Amino acid sequence: MIQLSDALFSLTLLSVLFSLGSNRIMGLVKIMAFQGVVVSLIPFFLEHHEVFNSGALIFLAVMLLIKGLLIPGLMYVAVKKVKIQREIEPIVGYHASLFAGLIFILASAFIADKLYLSLPGDKVLLMITAITTLSAGLFLIMSRHKAITQVIGYLMMENGIYLVGTALAHETHAQFVVEFGVLLDLLVGVMVMGIIIYNINSSYDDVDTTLLGQLRD
Amino acid sequence: MLELTILLPLFAGIISMFLPVKPGRIILVVTAALHLQLISLAWFGKVPPILPDYFSVTPEGMLVLLVTSFIFFFISLYAVSYMRVTKLSSEPLYIGCTLLFLASMTMVALADHLVVLWIAIEATTLMSAPLIFLHHSKSALEATWKYVMICSVGIALALLGCFFVVLSMDVGNLHVPITFSSLGLVATQLEPVWLKAGFIFLVIGYGTKMGLAPMHTWLPDAHSEAPSPASALLSGALLNCAFLGVYRSHKLLFQAGIGDFSSGILIGFGLLSMLIAAIFIFNQTGYKRMLAYSSIENMGIIAFGIGIGGLATYGAMLHLIHHSLIKSSLFLSSGNILLGYGSKLINKTGNMVNLLPKTFIAFFAGCVGISGFPPFGIFVSELLIIMGAFQQGRNICVSIFIFALILIFAGASRLVLKMSFSPGSEAEILVEENLARTLPSFALLLASIALCVWLPETVYQAILSAIVTIGGGVNG
Repeated sequence: MIQLSDALFSLTLLSVLFSLGSNRIMGLVKIMAFQGVVVSLIPFFLEHHEVFNSGALIFLAVMLLIKGLLIPGLMYVAVKKVKIQREIEPIVGYHASLFAGLIFILASAFIADKLYLSLPGDKVLLMITAITTLSAGLFLIMSRHKAITQVIGYLMMENGIYLVGTALAHETHAQFVVEFGVLLDLLVGVMVMGIIIYNINSSYDDVDTTLLGQLRD
Repeated sequence: MLELTILLPLFAGIISMFLPVKPGRIILVVTAALHLQLISLAWFGKVPPILPDYFSVTPEGMLVLLVTSFIFFFISLYAVSYMRVTKLSSEPLYIGCTLLFLASMTMVALADHLVVLWIAIEATTLMSAPLIFLHHSKSALEATWKYVMICSVGIALALLGCFFVVLSMDVGNLHVPITFSSLGLVATQLEPVWLKAGFIFLVIGYGTKMGLAPMHTWLPDAHSEAPSPASALLSGALLNCAFLGVYRSHKLLFQAGIGDFSSGILIGFGLLSMLIAAIFIFNQTGYKRMLAYSSIENMGIIAFGIGIGGLATYGAMLHLIHHSLIKSSLFLSSGNILLGYGSKLINKTGNMVNLLPKTFIAFFAGCVGISGFPPFGIFVSELLIIMGAFQQGRNICVSIFIFALILIFAGASRLVLKMSFSPGSEAEILVEENLARTLPSFALLLASIALCVWLPETVYQAILSAIVTIGGGVNG
């Protein structure tokens, strides 16, 4: 079981690095679907997890459905409808982004080490994965122009928060709070719907936040 | 039944979305009046909550709620007249969304449970985003996108903050409900490291919504692109609600005995917001953006006052009330100016004193008030904050504070004088002002003057009991 959870962590990290280096939006959407599935599977394979009661099982199943199917599906529709397959012109280049991703991993390892948490075995690795995912998501939001890529960054950040929660929560109260993170998916859904509807209503040819550049000081 | 104050605007909002415009307007005003009446009843504790695990009547919550409900009533009076002469994509959407927005803000003010508060603040984002996008222009879209994106990141970080606070409870092996009131009772047993981490994330998260620099970037865009009644609501009510989130976490830290930590952070954010507002207000080209930066400044003042403690806390609470009254009045006047000149740019306006005399009086008086001159309440509150800061021996902080105030006054007064008196403007007045659109601004200003002269005993007691936990009081 230990190897399996380790494999899941490294798959998450790989998906993070891939999304930092990718320039195809469709590829990004697919990798986010993959990351969503992996992230929602992680709680099943943790070493010290208590036996799941039926409520928790249903929650995890719903989580899997939303993160793996619903949100990526919505984004797929958005990308198809809005025809944003073009490569993106990032504020920070792809190689630099990849490099930043590697630095995030190092920094997360440093932070997880410095926190002096008495975490059981595999949860230290989970903490590293979580902080990396969170910071890479924030980085994506800040370093990309396209609205849809910013949403993808937000989704990644949210996955990171969920993983931080999974790593640290060992009591029911804290777990309870983390589960409300599902409501953040509502915000993601609203944003993606905004992209879709806005593009149907008016005929701008792409959703690029550089076009949205009139309001500045 | 305290929850009725949430349910009433909620159902009224949903219904009015499907009604034609005319009954919708009636519903808006009637709901606003009923809400104000319910809140006044609740103020005296006549309306106990049905779900005491999630909602409670707290003095600071009721203070914010009363202000919100009061200005909402006048804004809705104004909005009815404003909607008649302006072109919006959908008026039922406006009416429905403001009512839903009111419901979510009421929920913020009444929430006692950490997660309920968080959900309510998330709901305010969702309910107010359509209001900003009402004009359906490209810049409105940009403003809405920025607003939703930045506030969503803030909300996500705030969730992490809630999680850390709850974790501090779990680490301390406590089992109490996750409400601010019950956590406050056992605050000293909470694990301080996680509590501090939680506070940092909460202040960043809710501070984004409150408009504290450097997370303020959505605020000028959203306030200038929203229709004026919605901007008045954003500035006068929403920012206070977000402040409530910050305030409650600050209070929790005080109860845990690590209030110095959170005070320092609040003072830092407060001064930074004031300085940034002072720098950006100087070369503003739009008057609504100017007002928005002034909101950032005032939120900074409130955060600063709360952080200083003692007498300054009392000043900060007064400031919150008066800022809401005066700033919403200013945004309502700015709606008249926008209708009159048809432009948000300061250069396109001018000679207001002759062209729009009534609006001029309201706008100019509001600007005098917001800059901290008597007889308006902000004079008293800023004076109290400065005195409080000197009492605490924070000389460097208070010098920065006064410096920023002077800068902002210099920057804003130049623009206001230009708008009011600059002659030679050949602007034609597109929509004449009328009483229905000027009286609400006058009423809000008069409320500020009245509260400055005579503060009702019950409000005074509410402020005192709100700030007593964080070491505030009128005796220093």
